[in-house]
Amino acid sequence: MSEPALEIRNVDKLYGDFHAVKDVSLTIPAGSIHGFLGPNGAGKTTIIRMILEIIRPTRGEIAVLGEVSALKVRNRIGYLPEEKGLYKKMKAWSVIAYFATLKGMGRKAAKERAFELLEKYGLKDFANAKTDALSKGMGQKVQMLASIAHDPEFVILDEPFSGLDPVNQEVMEDIIRDMADRNRTVIFSTHVMQHAERICDRILLMAQGRKVFDGTIAEAKRTLPRRVRIETGDPVGQLEELDDVVDVAALNGDGGSGDEGRAARWELRIAEKADPQSILQECFERGIRLRSFELADPSLHEVFVHLVGSGVKEASFR
Amino acid sequence: MRNAFLVAWRDFAESAKTKGFWIGLLLFPAMIFAFVQVPKYLEKKGTPQRYFILIDQSGAFEEIIEEGLERAHQRRVLRSLVDYGRENASMEKARQAGGKKIDLEDIPAPDVSGGAEQFLEEFAESNPDALEKFLKRGGREMMLQRMKPYLRDDAEEYKEPKRRYVRVAVPESVDPEAGTSVISEALKPFLRGTRKIRVDGEDRKLYAAVLIPKDIEGLVSRPGQPPVTLMTGRHGVEYWSANLADLDLHNDIRNEMNREIRRKAYLAAGMDVDAVRQVERTRIPFATLNPKKAKGKEKVSMADFLRQWAPSAFVYLLWISIFTISQMLLSNTIEEKSNRIIEVLLSSVTPGELMMGKLAGIAAIGLVMIGTWIGSLVAILAWKAGPEVEFAQHAFDVLKNSHLLPAFFVYFVLGYLLYAGVILTIGSLCNTLKDAQNYMGVVTVIMMVPMLTMFFIPKDPNGTLATTLSWIPIYTPFAMMNRMAADPPLFEVIGTTALLIVTTVAVLWLSGKIFRIGILRTGQPPKILELFRWALDAVRGRN
Repeated sequence: MSEPALEIRNVDKLYGDFHAVKDVSLTIPAGSIHGFLGPNGAGKTTIIRMILEIIRPTRGEIAVLGEVSALKVRNRIGYLPEEKGLYKKMKAWSVIAYFATLKGMGRKAAKERAFELLEKYGLKDFANAKTDALSKGMGQKVQMLASIAHDPEFVILDEPFSGLDPVNQEVMEDIIRDMADRNRTVIFSTHVMQHAERICDRILLMAQGRKVFDGTIAEAKRTLPRRVRIETGDPVGQLEELDDVVDVAALNGDGGSGDEGRAARWELRIAEKADPQSILQECFERGIRLRSFELADPSLHEVFVHLVGSGVKEASFR
Repeated sequence: MRNAFLVAWRDFAESAKTKGFWIGLLLFPAMIFAFVQVPKYLEKKGTPQRYFILIDQSGAFEEIIEEGLERAHQRRVLRSLVDYGRENASMEKARQAGGKKIDLEDIPAPDVSGGAEQFLEEFAESNPDALEKFLKRGGREMMLQRMKPYLRDDAEEYKEPKRRYVRVAVPESVDPEAGTSVISEALKPFLRGTRKIRVDGEDRKLYAAVLIPKDIEGLVSRPGQPPVTLMTGRHGVEYWSANLADLDLHNDIRNEMNREIRRKAYLAAGMDVDAVRQVERTRIPFATLNPKKAKGKEKVSMADFLRQWAPSAFVYLLWISIFTISQMLLSNTIEEKSNRIIEVLLSSVTPGELMMGKLAGIAAIGLVMIGTWIGSLVAILAWKAGPEVEFAQHAFDVLKNSHLLPAFFVYFVLGYLLYAGVILTIGSLCNTLKDAQNYMGVVTVIMMVPMLTMFFIPKDPNGTLATTLSWIPIYTPFAMMNRMAADPPLFEVIGTTALLIVTTVAVLWLSGKIFRIGILRTGQPPKILELFRWALDAVRGRN
């Protein structure tokens, strides 16, 4: 599978005067897990709908599984929309089977597959329950299973984790990893960074309709200065003068002015090319007694805040 | 196409599981059943016995009234005997006895030219002979005896209906010799129900009191003289009752008394009463003929009667079914929309397939419903008709051989598609049923028109009203169905139907466009202006 699962070129979407998506380009290789991150209203769902050809872009081109129209390959795509809902009066298995038949499966095969999936993911006892009798989390799992029952090559999940408890969030992660293991391509959108951090190969970061970042998680982290966390009872002011150190910040409340005996935690942001080892050495040379020294990667959350900026916070709540 | 079929099948199967569908399915047969059965049941068991007081101070009418009420009762006995015979007759025995085949074409129609009133009167007056014969030859016993050979072996025993009106004695507290105003004053507590009268040791409510004053013969209105009651301010016979709806007793007594004073008038004029009776029974034969029928068979028959009125029934059926399944379509669409299932669907099927599937699935529901209704109607008719099963059979044949059924089918499909287009548009624009109700209100009002005109159109089937409505596509199915019996001009049939088809296609096409945009919308339904813009965009070929 050399051709990319998805190619988006210079796509714009306008709703009347509202510019929902601005000039987004993106290539997703087959067999990867790709996270769409961004605050509310960033345009994630709009992009997803355009990929599925539920709506059409105002400008630009989208190719899914090598086809210009997602409709041609819709049986090879699975989709879980952002707002979850099921036919209330249908039984769990028959909802799954129905959506699977719409994706081209035979009626009988779809039914078997539905029971198989329900059993595999712990919902066997609810197979014959009407969906409005299920809890929200269970309903969401059923819908997830409905979207992948036909074993699609390309799965698009809009906010798959929202509304799930931690245990079920893990189940959801497992489902996603299972698919990736079988060389399926998965896109999911979320605004919870931890999920993305744990399971994504690559991420797309969006804000206000624009692509802010697109790449691997490691690349994303590299956009922030690396940092070193130290714990010491000694003053650390002199470290700030080093060339390799960008700045020093206290991690717990009163930081440096603490008592002699009590250790304080500090975070040193270091220059991009700096060697953390040399910082350690500098500490020794300056007689700073360290209780701990760790190289801390920035979290995706920090990357997010850094890249998206605090302005978005206001924008998203407007 | 496969997807459209899958959507249709799901919509059909799921709608068929709803309570609403089953209620709709069974309500109609239940109503017909009740319509046929309840009056009979009431007559048998439910009709309350009513107690009345008769005070005849003149003494001239008491006997006559008693006799008259007895005759009315015997008439009911006769009717119930006929019903009993029909219900319990055995087909084979009737056949062996050389029973005649029934052909609706030969059964004269109840008077078609007059209104319902004349028809009823006709019925009641047409067989005084039958009653007299019945009474003369021994009444109920004779009838049962003669019926016996034709009854089924397991026929239940005949039960005579209860007497509807039972005369009771005047309460002791009331002086029957007093003036009518005194008596009526004394009886008021009984008539209002605050006091009960004793009948066979039980307390009963007094239903009515009939007071005939001593000088009643002096109060009779006679032609050529000013009405005495008007001059004197007196009432004549006083019929007191708290129940103003059931006037049977009132009418029976009045008729008997009128008959009696007329008899006396004949005598006074020196006429032979029996001769007058005979004369009163002379009648002119009056046939209603239809110029459109074959020579020798022009007489308007029961079959014609059916043909005349069946279209109205079909309009009603058409209206109910379109209205019912439109509602289903609406709630079905809104469910998918409010649950956001629509997005998953649209990632699997095109909006066109989705729409087609929905239309077909719900149409199938409608057809099943109508099929059941017509089927149950025929079944109930057949069952109720007893040995005259052939009646229902023939009724069905009449319908089958007319162009009513195919017309009904065509107008159902077209009418449904037209309204469904509108409904789907509404459904795709609204997120909740509540939003949709606002739009549906308008649709309902528009849909009321054929209901209101339904009874006027058959009277003037090719008149201005009928013609105008026929040319308005949203009313074409109803109006044309209504006019079917009157053979509307071919040009109009084809013209209006063509216009209907064109409109339906246009509406469906347009609603498909709006459906596509609207179906993913959330939040408030769009403004009319916005809708108009979408429609315009669609026409210009954008979207």
